[in-house]
Amino acid sequence: MPASDIPVPQAADDALAAVVALRRLADQLEDAAVEQAMRAGWSWPQVAEALGVTRQAVHRKHAKRLIDAGVNLRRRSP
Amino acid sequence: MSPFDAYLHTILMEGGIEARRHGSATVEAQHLLLAIAAEEGTIPQRVLASAGLDHQAISAALDREFDHSLSTVGVSRASFDLPRPSGTPKRPPALGATAKLAVERGFASVSRKKDLRPANLLLGILRAEVGTVPRALALAGVDRTDLLTRVQNAIANDTIERNDATE
Repeated sequence: MPASDIPVPQAADDALAAVVALRRLADQLEDAAVEQAMRAGWSWPQVAEALGVTRQAVHRKHAKRLIDAGVNLRRRSP
Repeated sequence: MSPFDAYLHTILMEGGIEARRHGSATVEAQHLLLAIAAEEGTIPQRVLASAGLDHQAISAALDREFDHSLSTVGVSRASFDLPRPSGTPKRPPALGATAKLAVERGFASVSRKKDLRPANLLLGILRAEVGTVPRALALAGVDRTDLLTRVQNAIANDTIERNDATE
């Protein structure tokens, strides 16, 4: 949607709380999206590039959780 | 280990479990509040319950605050249909800024460390005037000033009982 359609909170406390809530939602979305991609056979470098972060960062943040959850992780990119 | 230290340790551990359950990389003040509300038979838990705040009510209030804050920028959780991520990191989450502040405020509420009571931790959490916890309480219709008074009274009574017991 165009920027002008995004509501801007009038009160400072609402605006600041929206930042906190969006960060939290983004974290939850990242957990779910990375798992979805890895289950679909994406490689770590692909996921990292799509997220715009280094592969070390994405690996450090998600590898252990996904291994514990039994997700079959690809070792190498094609 | 003093009774307060043992209580603090329990709440920090349980707060860590709450944080992981909520997919948070850090333990924040709201996770400590949830842990306090779940610790049955303790004075802080009873004070919260006397204001209608059991674990479930606090959890609902926090969800409402989350949805309300997202709605102010036109975002709804309902519009995301991704599956819940499975598994949680085994590593205990680190203490976040809001939890650190709450602990600091709890410690700062007494002049001598030996005067610390479990309810001082709750006092530290409730002294925050801005942020997720006061917003959630306000949205749930909780009078934070009244709740602070209840906590302070509970600390005073706890101190009197403790002194009577040692005399």
